[in-house]
Amino acid sequence: MKCLLIASESAEVLFYWTDPEFQQNIQQQYGSSQEEGQGLPAFEDSISTLFAPIIISCSTMVDRLGDSYTSFTTENNHIYVLHQFDECLYIAVNGDGEEGEDALRRKIYVMKKMIEVRFGMVTLSSNLLRRELRPQDTEQRARLWKHLQGLLETYSHLRENDQSFLVEAVERLIHPTLCEQCIEFLERRLVQQLNSSAERAGEEVLHAFILVHTKLLAFYSSRNASSLATSDLLALIIMAQNMYPSNVDQDDPGPEVGKFQKPRTRHHHKMFSTSGSGPESFYTPEPSPTDRDSSSSGGLCRRMAEDSLQALEVPPPDPSTPRRVFLEISGKDGLYPMMPHSLYCLPLWPGITLVLLTKIPTSAVALSVYKFLEAFAKLEKCLNGGQEGSAAARGQLAIHDIRSKLDKFIKASQQNCWMILLNSLRSCLYFYFYSLIPWCKNMKTQLCGIYRQCFLIDSGPGDFPQRLSPRLQERAQTMAQEKLMDWKDFLLVKSKRNITMVSYPDFPGLIHFICVDRSTGQMIAPSLSTTERTTSELGKGPVAQFIKNKVWSLVSTTRNFLRKGYSTVTLRDGDFYFCYFLWFENEMGYKLEAGDIPLLPDDSAPIGMLAWDYYSRKLLRYYSKNHQGEVVRCYELLTVHLGVIPTEIILQHCRQLASKLWEPSRNPLL
Amino acid sequence: MHGPCTGLFGQCLVPPVDSSFDAAIGFQSRARSGSTSQALLNRASRCSYFFLYDGSKVKGEGDRTREGICYFYPEETPVDKQELLCGQLAGVGRCVSELSSSPVRILRLRRNKYAIRMEGHFFWALGCSADVPIASVCERLDQLIDLFCFYSDSVRQSYQLNSQETLSARWAQYFLHLQPGSSELHRIFSCLRTIDSTNVDPLLLLKAALILQACQRCPLVLAGCILFRGRVVSTQMSPELTMKVMVHESETYAKAQSSSSSLDAAVSSITVFLTTSELQYLQSAPVHKDLSSHSTPHRDAPQKKTRLSRTLSEMASTESDSSDLGPPQSPHKMSFSPCLSESDNSVFSPAPSQSTADPLNPPPQSPEPPFSNGRHSPEAEEEEALDESCYQSFHSNGGGDSQVHHEGGGSAFDERSSLNGGDGDAARDFRVGDSGNEESHDDEDDGAAVGNREGGCGSAQGDQGEDPLPPYGGFENPEESPRIPMMLYLHRVKGLVLALLTDPRFLSDEASMEEVYHSSLASLNGLEAHLGTVPPVPPGAPGAPGPYIFAHFDCIQSTLTTNLSGRPGGAPEHPFVRATSLLHSHFCNTKTLQEAIIRSAGAAVYGTRSVAHETYFQQHGGSLRNSGIPNHQDSAFSLPGKARHRLLKHGVNLL
Repeated sequence: MKCLLIASESAEVLFYWTDPEFQQNIQQQYGSSQEEGQGLPAFEDSISTLFAPIIISCSTMVDRLGDSYTSFTTENNHIYVLHQFDECLYIAVNGDGEEGEDALRRKIYVMKKMIEVRFGMVTLSSNLLRRELRPQDTEQRARLWKHLQGLLETYSHLRENDQSFLVEAVERLIHPTLCEQCIEFLERRLVQQLNSSAERAGEEVLHAFILVHTKLLAFYSSRNASSLATSDLLALIIMAQNMYPSNVDQDDPGPEVGKFQKPRTRHHHKMFSTSGSGPESFYTPEPSPTDRDSSSSGGLCRRMAEDSLQALEVPPPDPSTPRRVFLEISGKDGLYPMMPHSLYCLPLWPGITLVLLTKIPTSAVALSVYKFLEAFAKLEKCLNGGQEGSAAARGQLAIHDIRSKLDKFIKASQQNCWMILLNSLRSCLYFYFYSLIPWCKNMKTQLCGIYRQCFLIDSGPGDFPQRLSPRLQERAQTMAQEKLMDWKDFLLVKSKRNITMVSYPDFPGLIHFICVDRSTGQMIAPSLSTTERTTSELGKGPVAQFIKNKVWSLVSTTRNFLRKGYSTVTLRDGDFYFCYFLWFENEMGYKLEAGDIPLLPDDSAPIGMLAWDYYSRKLLRYYSKNHQGEVVRCYELLTVHLGVIPTEIILQHCRQLASKLWEPSRNPLL
Repeated sequence: MHGPCTGLFGQCLVPPVDSSFDAAIGFQSRARSGSTSQALLNRASRCSYFFLYDGSKVKGEGDRTREGICYFYPEETPVDKQELLCGQLAGVGRCVSELSSSPVRILRLRRNKYAIRMEGHFFWALGCSADVPIASVCERLDQLIDLFCFYSDSVRQSYQLNSQETLSARWAQYFLHLQPGSSELHRIFSCLRTIDSTNVDPLLLLKAALILQACQRCPLVLAGCILFRGRVVSTQMSPELTMKVMVHESETYAKAQSSSSSLDAAVSSITVFLTTSELQYLQSAPVHKDLSSHSTPHRDAPQKKTRLSRTLSEMASTESDSSDLGPPQSPHKMSFSPCLSESDNSVFSPAPSQSTADPLNPPPQSPEPPFSNGRHSPEAEEEEALDESCYQSFHSNGGGDSQVHHEGGGSAFDERSSLNGGDGDAARDFRVGDSGNEESHDDEDDGAAVGNREGGCGSAQGDQGEDPLPPYGGFENPEESPRIPMMLYLHRVKGLVLALLTDPRFLSDEASMEEVYHSSLASLNGLEAHLGTVPPVPPGAPGAPGPYIFAHFDCIQSTLTTNLSGRPGGAPEHPFVRATSLLHSHFCNTKTLQEAIIRSAGAAVYGTRSVAHETYFQQHGGSLRNSGIPNHQDSAFSLPGKARHRLLKHGVNLL
């Protein structure tokens, strides 16, 4: 019983996702009041009818009371979480007890993040975003919604099963030698070759990384690239997983892989199934387009089969077409959110993916658009805030400034779409104070519109889309395959048993831990495998599942305490003893004194790094006030011990883990 | 009761117990007379809104929302805003409950949160600011509705029989009564206010318990409690019932103060309405409770404990405790058993006469509806004495036919309630004609009334037990469980009050009343004299913050022991209060959680809980400054040891 709905203020459904139970529930309720045929439009209608009173009441409350609903809970423990972003109301529902309020709010924020990555600055104009999310063409709409639904499902699956998405930090495969080799490979061979090729069509590879399932094997950023934010990296991992889902919970690596795949893709996997024993020539570059076709569409088929909605045949997109993603870059003069990039996900083998992130030739335009948008927003704020007289005076100056700059920019760009803007810019030659604010709003909308035209509209089917040429992509794929051929099976196993508790014999009674470096957005944790097929130290099935549930609930509990300002928590729960610590260090590793932690309201953005980076945006900013000019690092440690272990010993363990984990030499596995 | 008011007046009053009580009463009488706005506004920061909305009155397009508003607090809220809130919340509530096929319980806004109760067309909402734990708000709303039903029976019926103003005054009264106690801690745990047992000679508490037990020698007396200046001295009832009784006590206190008190005014009584489970619990003898406790797990166990006066169980630590309790308990049992056998006999033998008597005038049952009419209207004029005499005369006319009648009716009463209450924990959800009840009925028959079967009238009797229900619960709304009228008898000696829940026949039984009155009068006077001399505040205790703060909550008796002064220190922003509130709701949510230490930059608080208790402890001073990195020498982790050690002298044993 799960649902996520995005609606406009006028109760128009902009997006929805439901699981089959929820869909059934809606259909039953709607069926009782009105008999109607099923099918996509009918279901969309019924969900919109049933939610409309809530949505309308929401906007009434905002208009007349200045307050808005944040959640409802019913006696049978259905939870509704509501959040409004600009003019879009998000509603997430859970009726099966699997998600709490915090998880639902997180889902809403993650959905918003994914929409931002997908639509960039268009999200800044509610009007445009509404049209973007709900295309008039039903087929196009179905395709878009299906894609977003897939992302949401992939995210939910990862959050429930993957520790790195539980704590929202990136997990690295711990194998320093191989990691180093791969980085060298990416730098010296792959990125260099791609960026020096003539077939790159003006694109430039900024980041390249190799994922084994959700874990990072190697990451390389070219010299003139700004660093990739953890939030964006996590979002990209979700996208890659959505394109090439790895059934990490089910499949065993090696000969049995093919068993879990769709028949259609079997030949593809068979080819690799005997790897390691066959002659190397067997694996050499055969990744013909048809191969990639089949593997990607196989993934898509699986998604669609899982999907609760009636499958509307969506033609698989050309795999060599990159996805447009909008990511944050940090320039010399500050952060620029939602800058256009192209994302290439090249599957090497099932579960192993090479991801390339390129800068597109026109990206400088986006930078300018953002600057202008910011200037207009500032102007609007200034006009809104001040007294009429002084604001107008200040506004005048600012307007002249913006106008001349924009004018110059438009003339320089020499593009058609900008000319419209020029007209409206000039329309305000004789402005009056009261008309300035609407004018600002209008200019912002127009800028967003131009941005949309530049970066979101696919070029027609006739012309070739802007991209690295398919041949170049193939070459990159082949090179990476050659590089990792011998390591492939090892990597697939390793990704499941990255670290194991066996490596920590000096910590009797320690059952599990998670350590996160929030400054780099990376985490270390022993793997928690809960499937029947693989045995971990925790045993199989139920026991491991029990521990896993405990860990998951511990994380949400400690977040609740953190939200209220508590940075140390210990809990004796049943037979276990849980600890949570958050602390700060400076660059030299010197422990800084614990300070005040900001208190967050209940409905604030969830604590994490994926949807909104709490640690760098809120916590470190707050803490660094007293540590000006110093680099402050933030760490978290969670441990699970047996309850019978004396507290002093437990605390000693924690201390040892905290000091050792990030020092490679002393980590048993590094 | 002055619980709610001390917070308000506390800032200006030094001795918390006495004067705040008077102030509270003063406040309340003012509240009732209507000059309330200032005081209410002060409170608005705590509970912002409370309303009852009747959706059945607003059905057509033309109906205005205001017609459905039965009560709205704060009353001075502009009608537009009242309509907005009622209309929107009730509308959204209905929509969500339709989507989920279940009533809405909690509704949060950015700035407020509301506990919701939806029953039939009624929609209650109690709104608090966002920092109050939601569990506490929900609990308070339930208490509020419960309280109303305790004094007025079914809500629907009350609104049919009484003017809206009368009932609004009642809601206002109960709402104020339930406003948070003197400190934030009381608000978090919503606990009973008790006298500070550390200052009182334990013998006095024992004496109070003995008075209550002595009263129970009269078979018509079910249970009682003794209150002193609005605080519980000793009670035989569950905390919930005690809380309800205290509302009326404070009201009569206000009256006793205003009118020149005579001896007559010292004794008063009114009708109250108990749920079948409450009644069953009160009526079952301790022996039976022991028997039944294994079948109804867990919940009865605590109740059993409260039944033994709470003062006793509280002051005695462990072993000595049980031996102490032995003697007082046995006379208690003794006194009860004749009562039972008596009623049993009456059931056995005069079965035919009973059935002939019933259609004529089944005393307690059928007079009820007219009676409740008769009761409410006088009360509207706030003429309690008149009300009472009215009732008494009514009963001496109608009910005085024969002793047999009473007995017969009473036993049917007993029988029925025990039948109905058979489903123990679920009693609140009790419904007429529920299949579950049939079963329990059978069980009860098998166990208790084997003799009846042998006598050949078992089935007839069973029918009787079942039949009288509809007249009682003559509600249109089958959702509401029927409540059984009982008498609440109050005997006041200055600040001391003896409150007894009795069978309705008690008032018509002059002999029993006389006996109870006279047997307890001397002891009550003595007790009052002694309690009156106890210094209200132990010198030096408040204001001097010790090296530590603790709060010890007894979940079963619903009492709180703390060394945190009720007033300035108990502010919600106090780190200890904040941590306690957070941990308490976490304990509520996680059943397996036993102990926790949480630390912010300013404070480390340790919380631990067992089945019966929750204890919170914070140590002052010491070097809190630390890096936050795990360190076994960290003072925060020595809190459990310190708490164990320090709290022993407060009678809190954490081992």
